[in-house]
Amino acid sequence: MKTRWILIAYAAISLLALMLMLSRENLYVAIALVAGILLLGHRELWSLVRYGRMPVIDERVQNNLTGAMRLTGVFFFIASIVLIMLLRFNVFKNTPTELIISGQLVIVGFVYLLGYYYYDRVRPDLGERAARWLKICLITAGLSLSTIALAIVLHNLVSSWFGFEDAFFFILALLVAPAALVISLLGCLAIYIKGLWASFSNVEQS
Amino acid sequence: MKTRMKEYRARLGLTQEKLAEIVGVRRETIIFLEQGKYNPSLKLAYGIARALGASIEDVFILEDEQV
Repeated sequence: MKTRWILIAYAAISLLALMLMLSRENLYVAIALVAGILLLGHRELWSLVRYGRMPVIDERVQNNLTGAMRLTGVFFFIASIVLIMLLRFNVFKNTPTELIISGQLVIVGFVYLLGYYYYDRVRPDLGERAARWLKICLITAGLSLSTIALAIVLHNLVSSWFGFEDAFFFILALLVAPAALVISLLGCLAIYIKGLWASFSNVEQS
Repeated sequence: MKTRMKEYRARLGLTQEKLAEIVGVRRETIIFLEQGKYNPSLKLAYGIARALGASIEDVFILEDEQV
């Protein structure tokens, strides 16, 4: 019941924010908010459209929602730090700030969706081996991301301290770590899709 | 954790949908419980056992290594 009221409160606040953004002609943020509302309340909306009633929020769903929201919060925090760093170094020179923030909000929405389905469908059907691989892939992705940031800093430090163009950290930041990041993310995605597929066919058969 | 939910449910002629409605959970939750992929809270386990007309120990069996 508490979770349902949180969802309703979120939708109401989002609608108010949406009206405010539309009145200020911030179209991108308005679109991001609508996408966020649809992503967060997709189960409720689907249930209302298909069965004409709100879905039951039982203890399993509540646990899954809590897990997904925690994951989204952590991601939002890390994404904000990365975004601030990118803005600090003028990576998005000609892009309007509202478009960048909207993009971040939509990505956060998708992370919530991925998180919810991970807890709801993927995790129960994930075998020990797949769970171990998922953990390895996630750790590798995190380490690769940190390595990219660290190697950029070290490359600049070495170049300014010793007065020559460092090649080691340059290759690490631009080739090795991004390649490891892409491979590990693809690995995560493959395990996730496999688990999701197995779960949906399992539930359909029961 | 193993469960005998399916067996008790079949005895009473209840569908997963009906049991879910009685207990106040989603059908998917009943599916995951029957497959032993979700450990219920004591409150939910009690509700299910009562709906199936049995005791918690009869419906949910904890394996030795989990004790």
